Amino acid sequence: MTFQLFVFYVLAAILVFAAGRVITVRNPVYAALFLVLAFFTSAGIWMLLEAEFLSITLVLVYVGAVMVLFLFVVMMLDLNIAPLREGFMQYLPVGILVGLIMVIEMIFLITQRYFKADNYPIPPPSDAGYSNTEALGLLLYSEYLYQFEIAAVILLVAIVAAIALTMRKRPETRYQKPAEQINVKKEDRLRVVSMNSEKD
Amino acid sequence: MNNLHVATPEIFLLVAVCTVLVVDLFQTDKRRVVTYWLSQATLVITLALCFGQLGDEPVTAFNGAYTMDSMSATLKCWILGIALLGFLYSRDYIGERDIQNGEYYVLGLFGVGGMMIMVSANNMLSIYLGLELLALSLYAMVALYRTSSRAAEAAMKYFVLGALASGMLLYGMSMVYGATGSLDLATINNIIASAVEGGSDSDESVYRSLGARFGLTFIIVGVAFKLGAVPFHMWLPDVYEGAPTSVTLYIATAPKIAAFAMVIRLLVDALPTLHSDWQQMLAILAALSLIVGNLVAIAQSNIKRMLAYSTISHVGFLLLGIVAGTAEGYSAAMFYAVTYAFTTLAAFGVLLAISANGYEADELVSLSGLARRKPLLAMVMMLSLISLAGVPPLVGFYAKLSVLKAVIGADFLWLAVVGVIMSVIGAFYYLRAIKLMYFDEPIADTVEVSETVGTDTTKDNEAIVTSAPSLSGPIAVRGDVGLGLAINGAAVILFGIFPGLIMAACIRAFT
Amino acid sequence: MGGALITAGRFIGPSNPNAEKNSPYECGFEAFEDARMKFDVRYYLVAILFIIFDLEIAFLVPWAVVLDSISPAAFGAMALFLFILVIGFIYEWKKGALEWE
Repeated sequence: MTFQLFVFYVLAAILVFAAGRVITVRNPVYAALFLVLAFFTSAGIWMLLEAEFLSITLVLVYVGAVMVLFLFVVMMLDLNIAPLREGFMQYLPVGILVGLIMVIEMIFLITQRYFKADNYPIPPPSDAGYSNTEALGLLLYSEYLYQFEIAAVILLVAIVAAIALTMRKRPETRYQKPAEQINVKKEDRLRVVSMNSEKD
Repeated sequence: MNNLHVATPEIFLLVAVCTVLVVDLFQTDKRRVVTYWLSQATLVITLALCFGQLGDEPVTAFNGAYTMDSMSATLKCWILGIALLGFLYSRDYIGERDIQNGEYYVLGLFGVGGMMIMVSANNMLSIYLGLELLALSLYAMVALYRTSSRAAEAAMKYFVLGALASGMLLYGMSMVYGATGSLDLATINNIIASAVEGGSDSDESVYRSLGARFGLTFIIVGVAFKLGAVPFHMWLPDVYEGAPTSVTLYIATAPKIAAFAMVIRLLVDALPTLHSDWQQMLAILAALSLIVGNLVAIAQSNIKRMLAYSTISHVGFLLLGIVAGTAEGYSAAMFYAVTYAFTTLAAFGVLLAISANGYEADELVSLSGLARRKPLLAMVMMLSLISLAGVPPLVGFYAKLSVLKAVIGADFLWLAVVGVIMSVIGAFYYLRAIKLMYFDEPIADTVEVSETVGTDTTKDNEAIVTSAPSLSGPIAVRGDVGLGLAINGAAVILFGIFPGLIMAACIRAFT
Repeated sequence: MGGALITAGRFIGPSNPNAEKNSPYECGFEAFEDARMKFDVRYYLVAILFIIFDLEIAFLVPWAVVLDSISPAAFGAMALFLFILVIGFIYEWKKGALEWE
């Protein structure tokens, strides 16, 4: 067993464990944290596949931002955990049955001659100077410019939708006005009162 | 970056939407008059640009990611025209319910952009991104009605199931990409065709065709979700019912045309060699949609739900044309998609007109006595429903006829029989609605109003008489809405008598 | 050097701690309460806007890496990409989504 293979199995084992815990753990916050672990481990597996840009993006975007959002949502909802678990045992047999059928189906397909991984040669490792980011950039900014611009439009729609759905101007909220704060003069805040000194 | 000019409609639309978005920021007017007219102007100019492309030679642009062909130019014109009328019908409805902020129009326009991208996509990635652009706008539009908890629930269901469907579709696309190494539809077609020809001679060709078939299954599931074909139809009635009627109108009309184009691009342009595989799957989906859609629609008392199940059954018909797998079938399906969209547009337009003055017309009984309250609305609604039922000489009849002809031509007699029987059964619930409008008394005003909207009732006094919601009195309809509905109703008759006007373009798209 | 400075500060600086001073400081929250409190939806808005611009960075990095070898069209495409997002930025600014109470 090469070192690479060893690392792969370790990461894969952690990944499967974390993914399993995401759906079995009772506390939604723990579930989100296990999801973070799952993302992080799969980023490690991608790194093994020499896809370093995607791997780092996965950590930056999913672990750094999306999971934070998940936690916000979990906290925002103030979930009562017990009702979520209702009916879990009731659906369990059906769930197991469906899962089992899927596993059997997958075994049928994957053990077929054509899906066996060893039919396909391992791609040669790329040389040290090869940059995944560069290859991606060259392709994205030559062949896929159109799709790239659509992505920008989708992000714009996301901004509009997020603001339209969550922005709520409440009359009682107070806002900072930085310009006024900076421009404030001494006279606006401070009043020098001249008065006679008094003796007690 | 050659042939940039063929994408002029999309480019113009994008620039114009961004302008509308920024201009709207500086509007303080509650009625958003400027935003509304700017949006309509955007649609009109884009429509003119697309109209100018009709009959041009097919061209691709952006390294083959974008194609302008006969089908895309025709469908874009229809999508834009329907969106235009849709905004017109929705204006008063959303104005009364405080959802008439600029975002409504901006998101609607972005959705139109997504549909246009889907229609002229020539690459798996463009299809997917166009679909996401459309879907994202739709989710947000459903949820925009923030004071309604039903709308929020509908948006949630729509979003979760839609995301699942997108995931399926993307999964299928990635498998096809894995099997062929290309995202370009024509290249995928060539590679799979040669792999299928290679048969089981070499491992590689077997692997390629097997992988593509695997992906195809997921693609079909994703597409069926988006179209709302049984058994992937669960979201449709809930979303139709929960969404504000103006958004239901939007979802029910133009996106169906875009979804049709997506099916054609994915199955006919990219995977025609796997025709025998997807034909079987679509045949089952079509038959189930016809049966479930028509039978369940009878049991509905909510008119939006009824129209949702009617949509499901019409999706079944649409799929019948694609199942046929011939150029004739595809043009019949295209005709069906277009005519279905503008017929349903008229039905929802009438619902929106009845819903004015704070009354939510979503129960079937709210149609009662419509003929006495506003004959124009009843007339348009009747034309639309009869056409959906498939009665000659309206356009729905010809649409059904041409689809059935194509199916019989492809030796799927049993499907045609199912289609005919089910449309006879389906005629029942359409006729029931017509009976309510023409032969029943208007319901008395004492009936409890299902959902009153007690917000801002200050309106500009040009057309609407402000009064408490009355269910028996005459209905005031704005002049421009009335004109739009009249044109829409007339189109249902006109294209029924002269179907060739649309059919010619549909046939040209597949030759 | 850093360690030396910290150590020096520890010994030379005056130190009269009390309970208030030693309690951890958290901006905007009470330091001690149930961890499962409700968050305001506004935090979510900030987070989602952050994600969008985070994604923009994911597009910018490969672009910057290959900047020397791409066509002027690709340069223009990035300009357009940023322009579209700037429109979104103008939108959120004017809407007041970036304002804080």
